[in-house]
Amino acid sequence: MTDMARGADRCRAPKKKGFFSTLASQWQLALMSVPVFLYVLLFNYFPLWGWINAFKDYGNRKLVARGITPFCGLNNFKWLFSRPDFFQAIRNTLAMSVINLVFGTVAAILLAVLLNEVRQRAFKRTVQTVTYLPHFLSMVIIVAMAQNIFASNGPVNDILAVLGLKPVFWLGEGKYFWWLVGIINVWKEVGWSTIIYISAMTSIDPSLYEAAAIDGAGRFQKILHVTLPGIKSTFVILLIMNIGHLMEAGFEIQYLLGNGLTAAYSRTIDIFVLEYGTQQMDFGVATAAGIFKSAVAIILLVGANFISRRLGEDTLI
Amino acid sequence: MRKLLSVLLMLALVIALVPAAFAEETPEPITLTYFYGAPGDQPTADNKIYKLIEEEFGIKFELEFLAGDLDEKLGLMCQDLDDLPDLFDGGNSAEKLIDYGALINLLDYVNPEDTPNIWAHIEPQLNRIITKDEITGEDVMYIIPNYGLPEGEQIVNEVNGPAFFIQKQVLAWAGYPEIHTLDEYFDLIEAFIAENPTNPDGVPYVGFDILTEDWRRFCMINPVQHLMGRPNDGEVLVDITKDDYPTETFINQPYAKPYYKKLNEEFHKGIISPDTFVMSYDQYIAQLSTGIVLGMFDQTWDFGDATNALKTDEKYENTYVALGLIYDEDDVEGLLPDGWTIEEHYVNGSLPNLDRGAGISVSCKYPERIVAMWEKLLSPEWAMIMNWGIEGEDYSVNEEGRLTMSKEQFANTTNNEWRKANKAYAIWDSSPKRQGWIMEGEFAGQCWEPGNQPENVFGQMNDYDKDFLEHYGYKKFADFVNPPIELAPYGEAWQINKDPISKDYNDFLQIQDTQLPQVIMAPEGEFDAKWDAFVEAINPSCEIYSEFMHEEILKLVAAYYGEEEAA
Repeated sequence: MTDMARGADRCRAPKKKGFFSTLASQWQLALMSVPVFLYVLLFNYFPLWGWINAFKDYGNRKLVARGITPFCGLNNFKWLFSRPDFFQAIRNTLAMSVINLVFGTVAAILLAVLLNEVRQRAFKRTVQTVTYLPHFLSMVIIVAMAQNIFASNGPVNDILAVLGLKPVFWLGEGKYFWWLVGIINVWKEVGWSTIIYISAMTSIDPSLYEAAAIDGAGRFQKILHVTLPGIKSTFVILLIMNIGHLMEAGFEIQYLLGNGLTAAYSRTIDIFVLEYGTQQMDFGVATAAGIFKSAVAIILLVGANFISRRLGEDTLI
Repeated sequence: MRKLLSVLLMLALVIALVPAAFAEETPEPITLTYFYGAPGDQPTADNKIYKLIEEEFGIKFELEFLAGDLDEKLGLMCQDLDDLPDLFDGGNSAEKLIDYGALINLLDYVNPEDTPNIWAHIEPQLNRIITKDEITGEDVMYIIPNYGLPEGEQIVNEVNGPAFFIQKQVLAWAGYPEIHTLDEYFDLIEAFIAENPTNPDGVPYVGFDILTEDWRRFCMINPVQHLMGRPNDGEVLVDITKDDYPTETFINQPYAKPYYKKLNEEFHKGIISPDTFVMSYDQYIAQLSTGIVLGMFDQTWDFGDATNALKTDEKYENTYVALGLIYDEDDVEGLLPDGWTIEEHYVNGSLPNLDRGAGISVSCKYPERIVAMWEKLLSPEWAMIMNWGIEGEDYSVNEEGRLTMSKEQFANTTNNEWRKANKAYAIWDSSPKRQGWIMEGEFAGQCWEPGNQPENVFGQMNDYDKDFLEHYGYKKFADFVNPPIELAPYGEAWQINKDPISKDYNDFLQIQDTQLPQVIMAPEGEFDAKWDAFVEAINPSCEIYSEFMHEEILKLVAAYYGEEEAA
């Protein structure tokens, strides 16, 4: 071996350090991550064993009671995909997720920007507190309030009557349901989601604002050219994470607010699984629907990540 | 001195222990877990009846009440049959526990020799209560019915089941008329609202409510069978006059249309508000409790909370009377099945509440102790304790030997706070119990339950109700409907377990949930089209459901007569 080669070897040595020696040198970090590692293993990977139920027949409860759950191949999936209302449930889930995501994000950023511009501390704090309080209320209470507000003799229809408009049957018409859910979710969560954007804004270097001011930027231009670009990376990361959750439009609000009249628009995948899986003790169908949901969620997440990378933005994975 | 004292103490201790050692052997104390399949209140720690149970049977109960969805809870619990509560009341879905093999066959412990009380209790309805296991063919009884096995003549003081209800003030306002048909009923409500659009506080009256939330959709989908003159067979109409018991779902039949047509008309007249279809059960009860709802189709037990609230507020004129409405012949001319005649039949002969009540789980280690407890609870002394309470505290016996309660004592029986400390409600509710008339012994000729005792029913009735009944010349509120008619051999078809076709059954219900309200709210001129679309959509699942129910009914009839012949 030549000297040069030996030298190069020596240079490369630290990079090629084995897994175990890296571990040894960072044992404190490794130790700290053990609980998280165990948590993920126990609660996220170990339950995957239950996926086997998706391929079993739970149809005959008397047999199930005797521990007989024969394998049935893809029958549970076939049954799911033979149901038009399962596709309806997918549509509802995605529609409400997208509405929640778009409305929720836009409202949160808007409120965060406005709060960031407020110079009076007391006012800013008050608004922040008031807007994030609903986050701590149970959905049961929120829905009960919404049912009163949107009742056909409720305040919303009273306002319409004052304006000379006809009352609207908000809770009983499917076409309003998604938007009602969107509005309620924004109202409940806007303050809470603002927190992360506000913290991102506080980490923007003040000298950027000073530079912008010297260049003659007004308040609006500062928002446009400093604040918004400053929170872009936070926005992108949150967006990717939320896209991974698109298949979960929530369960409580649709379950509580929905009724027979709006069922075609309110039934999400979770409710479908409850009605045709868990409540009927058909864990095969319930698991099959769960697997399908996970598969779609992974595709969406990887897809969003890929697009983000192609656009030269931050990525999650 | 100190030494002497300690010796004395020692002596005292020994003396105190001696009788205990020779005392009658009390059963080894055990703690049993008990799941109760409905929401409820935990009894207080010093509840006097649970204390007595603990002393007598050595059994301490750890109660768990339902929180959340019953079917889901039972399904998840049954995934591990080794770790079930000892005692199990599956509430409205108890048949699922049986399907899942979570309960033991009580016939291993219950027989005429060892448990004479239980046997005497179930004997009159043995051929309904004991069934055959479909797979092994052996006789089985998993649950002793918790209600519906009364002694003596059936007590019907008021309608406890389904009926069309109307506020007493509406009848009083109209001069106490007799109401028998749908048209009379709605005409009366319309007339009342026309003259009294709001209550004295200025809140507008609601003419007719239709509750649709979840399983309580029966308020929307059940009335047709009653209008046709049948008791509660769930969602099917059975022709019991024919030998082969023809069974069909009624919701898709031509004779169902007049009822929904009527509702559609009432909707356009403003008697029915669209809000009723988006109302939760809680909102419904809240609305009823304010006294602004003039009428609805429901079952008495389903709005008991509202009735209690109205009574507490002394708004007796806003409480309800159960009416047994039927179709007018003109309404359904040419639409009836062959040879069908309509006669009002809302109240049935008593029917054991099959598959309802507590069962012993397969993981319970002391089944014989629980059976022994039930046996004892059916003895006259314990039946009195469970039903009436403690003599002197909760009731008294007057000189004539009658069981009486003071006004306060009787009010206590419906006071939830009081009951937490003084009633073993969960055990009483799900265990077999003595009901009806006391047939022998010191209190013969009186009632097992304070709520039925004539002194309580009539003696403690409020003045408004007394006056109201007097106008009609009736003695009790059940006189508004026909007296009970004996049951068909299959019992009441709503009890049939639909699990084997649960997914089709669910479809059947979902279509009604989504489309029936639209039929009722159909814009003028569009009713027929909406109705036809509904019938077309629901027909396939109706077919599966009717066929299934027909088979099950025939099985029950065969079992009923089969046992009788053998006996």
